[in-house]
Amino acid sequence: MSAPPLLSAREITKRFPGVTALSGVSFDLRPGEIHALCGENGAGKSTLIKLLSGLHPHGSYEGELTVGGRPARFASVRDAEKAGIAVICQELALVPEMSAAENIFLGAEPVSRGLIDWDRVRRESKTLLERFGVALDAEAPTRELGTGQRQLVEIVKALRKDTRVLILDEPTAALTETETAALMAILKDLRARGIACIYISHRLEEVFALADRITVLRDGATVATLDAAAATRQDVIRHMVGREIRDLFPRRAGKRGEALLRVLGLDVAPAAGRPAFLRDVSFEVRAGEVLGFGGLMGAGRTELLMHLFGAWGRRLGGEVELLGRPLPPTTPQRALERGLALVSEDRRRYGLVLDQSVGFNLSLSSLAKLSSGALIDETREHAANAVQFKSLRVKASGLSTRVGGLSGGNQQKVVLGRALMAAPRVIFLDEPTRGIDVGAKLEVYEIVNALTDAGHAVVLVSSELPELMGMSDRILMLHDGRVAGEFAKAEATQERLLAAAMGHARA
Amino acid sequence: MTDTRRALRDLSPVIALALIWGAFALVSPEFLSPRNLSMLVIELSTTALLALGMLLVILPGHIDLSVGSGVGLIGGIASVLVFHHGWPAPLAMLLGFVVAVAVWTAMGAVVVKQKMPAFIITLGGLLVFKGLFWLVIRNATVPVAPGGTTNLYSMLTTYYLPPAAGLTLALLCAGAFARLRWSAERRSAADRGEPADGERVFLECFAAAQGLLLFVLIMNRFRGVPLPVVILAAATTGVVVLTRRTRFGRYLYAIGGNEEAAIMSGVPVERVVIGAYAIMGAVVALTGYLQTAYSGASTTTVGDLMELDAVAACVIGGTSLKGGRGTAVGVLFGALIMASLLNGMTLLAVSPEYKLIVRGLVLALAVWLDTRLARDS
Repeated sequence: MSAPPLLSAREITKRFPGVTALSGVSFDLRPGEIHALCGENGAGKSTLIKLLSGLHPHGSYEGELTVGGRPARFASVRDAEKAGIAVICQELALVPEMSAAENIFLGAEPVSRGLIDWDRVRRESKTLLERFGVALDAEAPTRELGTGQRQLVEIVKALRKDTRVLILDEPTAALTETETAALMAILKDLRARGIACIYISHRLEEVFALADRITVLRDGATVATLDAAAATRQDVIRHMVGREIRDLFPRRAGKRGEALLRVLGLDVAPAAGRPAFLRDVSFEVRAGEVLGFGGLMGAGRTELLMHLFGAWGRRLGGEVELLGRPLPPTTPQRALERGLALVSEDRRRYGLVLDQSVGFNLSLSSLAKLSSGALIDETREHAANAVQFKSLRVKASGLSTRVGGLSGGNQQKVVLGRALMAAPRVIFLDEPTRGIDVGAKLEVYEIVNALTDAGHAVVLVSSELPELMGMSDRILMLHDGRVAGEFAKAEATQERLLAAAMGHARA
Repeated sequence: MTDTRRALRDLSPVIALALIWGAFALVSPEFLSPRNLSMLVIELSTTALLALGMLLVILPGHIDLSVGSGVGLIGGIASVLVFHHGWPAPLAMLLGFVVAVAVWTAMGAVVVKQKMPAFIITLGGLLVFKGLFWLVIRNATVPVAPGGTTNLYSMLTTYYLPPAAGLTLALLCAGAFARLRWSAERRSAADRGEPADGERVFLECFAAAQGLLLFVLIMNRFRGVPLPVVILAAATTGVVVLTRRTRFGRYLYAIGGNEEAAIMSGVPVERVVIGAYAIMGAVVALTGYLQTAYSGASTTTVGDLMELDAVAACVIGGTSLKGGRGTAVGVLFGALIMASLLNGMTLLAVSPEYKLIVRGLVLALAVWLDTRLARDS
């Protein structure tokens, strides 16, 4: 502890009406270290970051913040930025219609004779992007960039300012393996330049690959600060959940039955008149089986599921058979009636009506079954909702709680519950554990097991290879809209899957 | 959002209404007379009807600016058929209904299928319908009934229920309310895991019954309960049931709350939204007949600016213009505020210029309050 901490929090307590979010949390960040913050959803990570970044102003909490040994009293995010602290949030804050260059200089455009010096904006943003090894078109509207690239633009934007502390909240939740690797390389490079980083992630392999120290929060308190070199994953998980978890992927392979979904030679274009994006895709899923889909971001996994579910693209050719009957291009409404359900990767956008209650969201896909005549039978609806609520162990005070106020894991359970209530035989799970904590992940995996035990078929899309390998009975890798390899559980290794994802190998 | 803020948002229409009534009553004792209250509730009926229809369009995140012109047009078609062509009033009104539902269905289909902004399409409708209206009545005054006679059309706003019928109806309404309230309480109690609070429900129902009874007694001191009020009560009940108890209603909230999630949940979004416009068409026709009958004839100004009163009533009643939030009862309150303001200002002989300005300011104030109070929800 020779150098004074760059940023430190002492005995921080933060109360919201009815809840104590943080109680006596202490935390410090040394110059040039990557310090990971771990904890389940609701453990207080977000609150702590909001405090450090000035979103919860000085005076709204107890305890003391210091920057470089001097007390810091941030009244606003701007104050924190002036002190050199920048946050890259889960929800990205770029203007989608502006180019990367314009976004990087947004609010600080260089001016020459009263006009914005666009040449300088373009030149300097290119230099910045190159310096951090980010390869992208600085002039294209950011809406055309992938999530990973947009994230990198945000980081470059933060670094343009005189930033000494970079806070990243779940930066890799939406990134592919390659993008994650690129991001991690950049963060290590920044560390070498003396920029410290607070890194929040549910993905422990990243935490261990990157972090110098790890602080674990649980229920609003600091449980432990560990040296990454001396700690193990098991240690961190034990601190996070407060108990031992033996098996991270408790897949129970069930009895396989007949094929429930068959896809043969499927070609799909994004829209009429465009060339095919998904090409010659063929696969089948059997009752009791979990079929995993892997691939890089943009390989077509989400599009494939969305198309089969009737929510994306225009079919140019190929056949689809669901439960032995042909499934022509459809709508989500028809797909659900035919026994096909989808849990989207983006639950806030495609999954939930955030302003409505848990019950409203749970029964939304099943109202036809819960009506007698024109009227919804509210007694039956309530009973059906209560069944899902209990069996999924949604942590909320009741069915009338607003769903937008729940944690990510509980929101995901509500989306799952809605799909389950529609009584599907084939269920598509697109990144079902993105951004949710270890405990909730295990519960999702148990639901997958229960589904296959009941003779249903599950298609699982995941960008996390350990999850894909751990939970799938069979894995298909997609590359550039085509099937690039099929692997039985036993023959799947990270190297082989990645090679297929990059289009290097055909299995 | 804190509890006080939420309570403030929920209660603000009630507080506003009390203030408005208090002020008018102080300045002009005539305001609370049975005669004026009777006129007020007839005026309320047209504003509120249109606003209830507007609620169904705003809930899924749309808007309809053409309804004011539509009120004039559909009323005008019926007037012309009755007065110039000697059609029986019921037949003329039926035709108007069919035309309105067809036109609004078509307009909804254009908005939904062509993915056009509702604001623009219905703004176009506002102008087109206004032009058609003037063509239909040839810029003249067309009475709703041939001179000196009465028909179903003219009776819409001149018929009053006999005192006994009014009282019976009030009792029936109170009974229905009590039943609905009790079943709702039982469900919410089951969700909370507590026994149902019978005492509270009884008190609420008792208060509601007393209010209804008081209303009927006041109306009976003039000519009885006006027919438009009965129509409004039926329409309100219809919209309450539609929004709270049917799939269609649930889907309206789901679409307004998150259209993409609604699609992915299997909601037939296009059909539901077009359905909302179709119902709006029927409401426009009904409001058209009431409004025209209240003026006694179709004149070029019937329906002017009614679309704005309808939107204002929705917003004042807590409906979010982004969609997904709003209730029929709230809208009823909003309409009562708008109708009270207009009625009171007419009573005080406020000149039309100032009436317009006040309406505009009230609308802006309501939206401002709505965004302020909803900010951190």
